[in-house]
Amino acid sequence: MTTIPTTTDAASEGPVRGAAHAPVAAASSRDAEGPFIRCRGVTRTYVKGSGRARSTVTPLEALDLDVPRGDFIALMGPSGSGKTTLLNLLAAIDRPTAGSVVVDGTDLASLPGPRLAAWRALHVGYVFQLYNLVPVLTAYENVELPLLLRRLSRRERHARVVHALEVAGIAHRHDHLPRQLSGGQEQRVAIARAIVGEPSIIVADEPTGDLDRDSAEAILALLRRLNEEERRTIVMVTHDPSAAASAKRTLHLDKGRLVHERADGAFGDADRAAEVTA
Amino acid sequence: MIPLRMLPLALRQVIRRPARAVLTAGGTAAAMFLFAAVVALDAGVRESTRTAGADTELVVYRKDRFCPMTSRIPEWYERSIREVDGVVETLPLAVLVNNCRAGLDVVTYRGVPKERFLEERGDEITLAAGSFDDWLARTDAALVGESLAKRRSLVPGDRFEAAGLVVQVAGIVSGDAPEVRNSVWADLGFVQRSERDEVGLVTQFLVRVDDGTRLEEIAAAIDDRFEAEAEPTTTFTRQAFLGRVAGDLLELVSFARWLGAAALLGVLGLVGNAIALSVRERTAEQAVLQTLGYAPGLVARLLVVEGGILAGVGALAGLGAAVLVGTFGHLALSAEGATIPIRLGPVEAAIGFAGALACGTLAGVVPAVRASRGSLAARLRTA
Repeated sequence: MTTIPTTTDAASEGPVRGAAHAPVAAASSRDAEGPFIRCRGVTRTYVKGSGRARSTVTPLEALDLDVPRGDFIALMGPSGSGKTTLLNLLAAIDRPTAGSVVVDGTDLASLPGPRLAAWRALHVGYVFQLYNLVPVLTAYENVELPLLLRRLSRRERHARVVHALEVAGIAHRHDHLPRQLSGGQEQRVAIARAIVGEPSIIVADEPTGDLDRDSAEAILALLRRLNEEERRTIVMVTHDPSAAASAKRTLHLDKGRLVHERADGAFGDADRAAEVTA
Repeated sequence: MIPLRMLPLALRQVIRRPARAVLTAGGTAAAMFLFAAVVALDAGVRESTRTAGADTELVVYRKDRFCPMTSRIPEWYERSIREVDGVVETLPLAVLVNNCRAGLDVVTYRGVPKERFLEERGDEITLAAGSFDDWLARTDAALVGESLAKRRSLVPGDRFEAAGLVVQVAGIVSGDAPEVRNSVWADLGFVQRSERDEVGLVTQFLVRVDDGTRLEEIAAAIDDRFEAEAEPTTTFTRQAFLGRVAGDLLELVSFARWLGAAALLGVLGLVGNAIALSVRERTAEQAVLQTLGYAPGLVARLLVVEGGILAGVGALAGLGAAVLVGTFGHLALSAEGATIPIRLGPVEAAIGFAGALACGTLAGVVPAVRASRGSLAARLRTA
């Protein structure tokens, strides 16, 4: 099992090998309420193919991770390292084959399908690389989508949508269809959609991967602001080190295991590395 | 099925994909128009051949003749028929049609002794325009059934020609019986003389009897009287007469019922195909909705509602067009001088709408359920 000691410990001790059962928890020791996200022994295995061509793939293996509330984590690693798989598990989109994922006190693996969807609606905001806005809906209507699941009055729904669009800096384009928006603007709408339900966790899968530099920086600034000012817990997958520098911590995955953590403190001020290998 | 607040979402999915919406709803409308035509024809035949509780009427026709053009009975038979026990009234009719085959715009002249007709059958007709006095005053005057009048844009005072006969429109009449609304009622002698110079010959007799339970018995007695004559007769109950005339049409209607079922199947296929294509096109979108917290069942129901909307709009358009054509077209199918109205009533329209809605909704179920199944993570990978 791959385990990583707390950032504080790791920073002082340097690389640690084989430190079993000590989960990654940069701030967990400082968090009196316990970790907001708690992964224990998380393994995800997929079966590919059928018959003689049948094989299993394990993108995540025995992963332990603690994330305190209000953290901003960047997940990095080569393709196939398990970043998106981990993201999907944290977002209750997928279930672990083994182990447990507990978010805000709820063991996601124990929730049946419909309740998992309901939990997702209340607690998760998802930002995709390719925005994934519904093409026939305007920016406003896309942002409104998560709120349609809740029993809110039209007025309250409207107020929340307008607020989310303003926070994302895209209120002036509220009546535009996705095809009438630039990539950066689409991603702002996607972020507004992710935050409109006031979720406790925002997961972002390469949110700047399809954007030019200026747009990417604007989106990262928005995510930082959401984390700093609104205390949103954010987990972001990225291949871009400069994007990762926006996060408070960077976790590196390789072959389904956490191999390295860099705590940047106040967004990239320092590189206090704690490298762990399996 | 879905919360009311989500209905606009399903509507936007339909409206903002105009090509899909127009093609699917248009196809559904065409199928439902066909369905409506079949239902209207079916209803018309059923109405025409329905046996009324107080049915006391017989039709005396020339034996082995099945068209007004060939049925010739001496007018003097009337005296003999009146002598049959149970007969209350007789009315000779000379029927002349401009087309003996089945058609949608057949003009049927019914030559009757005018005064007797008004006296004995006046309760079956209502004067909508014009005057009975004008009709009685002129030999070439005619009362035109209102459906035919609307079809041909006729008003009192017009001159009207069909089947080589020119008449002056004296009045427009309506009534419950389809033949009242679709015939030209003229003077018996005028019709007899006009084309074939067949004074003394009529096409048929309408006979009223005193007891509806003795119809068969009285019909047999009438036919027995003329069995040995040069022009033997066959006497039918009114419904049997219409049923015989409509016999060929019934076969057509039986086949048409299959067409109606095929039309509904067409709706099923059209909407099913539209939803299936839409689902395939929108795999990512459905996965994203689930990521936002929409349960798989809700995503499926949204798609099903889309299918229902498409089918409902198409059905409304198709049935609406059928009702308009039926109402303003005043169509009637005539054969051998008998008339079968083609009208789509509210009940038939409601049945058609419900059928289309059910088919459209049902058609969406399978692709919708398939769309919401499977691993969300796997579908997001393709998003």
